Amino acid sequence: MTGSVVAGIGWITSQGPGGGREARKFSMAPGPIPPVTREDVFPEPNLRFGRLPQYSRVGLAAVAFALRDAGMEHWETKRSAGIVASTRAGCLATDIEYYNTVLPEGGGLPSPNLFSSTLPTCFLGEAAIQFGLTGPTLIVNDPAEDALGGVRMALESLSWGECGTMLAGHIDLPAEPAIPGIRPPYTGGLFMVLESARDAAASGYGTLDLSGGGAVRRDGVEIADLNELVRACLAFPRPS
Amino acid sequence: MNEVLITATASITGLGPDLDTTWRRLLAGETAVRPIRRFDAGRYPARNASWIEGLESRGNRSLLYPLLERLLDGIGPLPPGCRLVTATTKGCIDTFERVRKGLPGVVDDIPVSGPLTWLASRLGLSDPGVNISSACASSTMAVARAAAMIESGSADAVFVVCMDLVSEFVFSGFSSLQALDPAGCRPFDRYRNGLSLGEGGAALLMTSAESARGEGIRGIGSVVGWGAANDATHVTAPARDGCGLIQAVRRAMAKASIGPDDISAINAHGTGTVYNDSMEVTAFEAVFGSRRIPLNSLKGAIGHTLGAAGGIEVAVGLRSLADRTLPPTAGFGEPMERCGFPVSSLPQPIGGRYLLSTNSGFGGINVALILKGNPE
Repeated sequence: MTGSVVAGIGWITSQGPGGGREARKFSMAPGPIPPVTREDVFPEPNLRFGRLPQYSRVGLAAVAFALRDAGMEHWETKRSAGIVASTRAGCLATDIEYYNTVLPEGGGLPSPNLFSSTLPTCFLGEAAIQFGLTGPTLIVNDPAEDALGGVRMALESLSWGECGTMLAGHIDLPAEPAIPGIRPPYTGGLFMVLESARDAAASGYGTLDLSGGGAVRRDGVEIADLNELVRACLAFPRPS
Repeated sequence: MNEVLITATASITGLGPDLDTTWRRLLAGETAVRPIRRFDAGRYPARNASWIEGLESRGNRSLLYPLLERLLDGIGPLPPGCRLVTATTKGCIDTFERVRKGLPGVVDDIPVSGPLTWLASRLGLSDPGVNISSACASSTMAVARAAAMIESGSADAVFVVCMDLVSEFVFSGFSSLQALDPAGCRPFDRYRNGLSLGEGGAALLMTSAESARGEGIRGIGSVVGWGAANDATHVTAPARDGCGLIQAVRRAMAKASIGPDDISAINAHGTGTVYNDSMEVTAFEAVFGSRRIPLNSLKGAIGHTLGAAGGIEVAVGLRSLADRTLPPTAGFGEPMERCGFPVSSLPQPIGGRYLLSTNSGFGGINVALILKGNPE
């Protein structure tokens, strides 16, 4: 399989927002995610951001930071770039918030604004609009413990020539205490900008590909999980 | 590049427990959209949906499991090494509702990994599988993904299972968006006024042609083209100019190495909302120009089955190609403005071998598939 270059990285974790080579501390260890405000993400007023639930804010912010790190935040014409993210619990936090408005004790007036965010892919649509991205957008629910399902699918899409650029990552928010017993092993949102090696001008944070058995490799070395992948990328020397 | 065959199909819809029954009732122009009995819909302006008769919860488990049991009834052993790809938008949403109401429910069923793990075990697959969520195009995306896996050689066989339930959670949301037609959905009709929800499932066994031929299996038909694009315009409304759907259809035709003149019929998303149906006609006119290709939608008959829609439409689409007949569009009466494509409340003949099937969804996603029937 032809390799793909990691051109940018951005995230929101329990430690807050981050992205790029300067932010060397990274972990998606389980924990509550601090509220994400528009000022954390966009310097200019943004009509939609304030209306989004936390799940969508986390996802959109991580996409924004990754594109900013890759120098791809600003655009004039729409671009054929896709987005794929893995998740364990999806937008369960938004589902809880919405369903509270449906229940009679919650007022019995279902919120159309919240309902429009009760699909795990809705924030991908927000990101597509915000950044003019017209490739495939999908979420993968993957029981694997490595949180690399999104990266794996993005690498496949790039090797199949579906797009020249893919944003790949993972997103999960804690569901407890509203629903005890659902504990995603990673919390927060993380995205990487992946570009076909033949299209990428610089080596970025290294090159990813898939082994014959489907394992994610970075510069030829098999990666155990998402945390290891991001840390390895951040430790990669800046191209001179 | 490997050719991608579909060698087995199954479906369950409000019209029937199997594809034969659904097909027969589709041809008769029947609809399964009727008053909801699953929850009290009295507080909503629209009170109809297409639901499956007789689904019963066992042991406080989701209704999705008896739906899947019925769907998989009669599915034979899967090929060794077969991969599993599922599609759903809300999975065991009824379990979520129970738990949030303080009723007993199996919490592990709430994440989609719950039914995914159940399916892998039920089917005896070593592959734990993945679920693809892409709004109302989830199963169309799953079929496209499975086709790409087989074409590229990364899988030899993929079992695609698509599913979604009617629930108050989803019903209340579409009601709050004023997107439900109290009279039942009327795709491509001049007086269309919204969608009707539905529930159902589909199962598709997709294999490489080489493997199928090695087993002496001819297959039901092929997936020869697929394409996906986001219109990057609005989260809940389609792009008025159909830009995303146009791009998805053109990508699918390019993948299939065919042109607009080769398409014989279109099974559209056809939700019956004012903007969706207008967007689709705009997009198809941009792609097909003045060609008047027979067009239909199944959603007046079986409702909008969300994450199951595309999969059911593939199963029905292959039957359409085999029988050279496009089923009627239930609910259709008077043609909508500026639609030159033949839509009918009666079956329409199909002349060629390629059928285009499309779905679009929240978040701006559009996915197109091109199905090819077997030669006589």
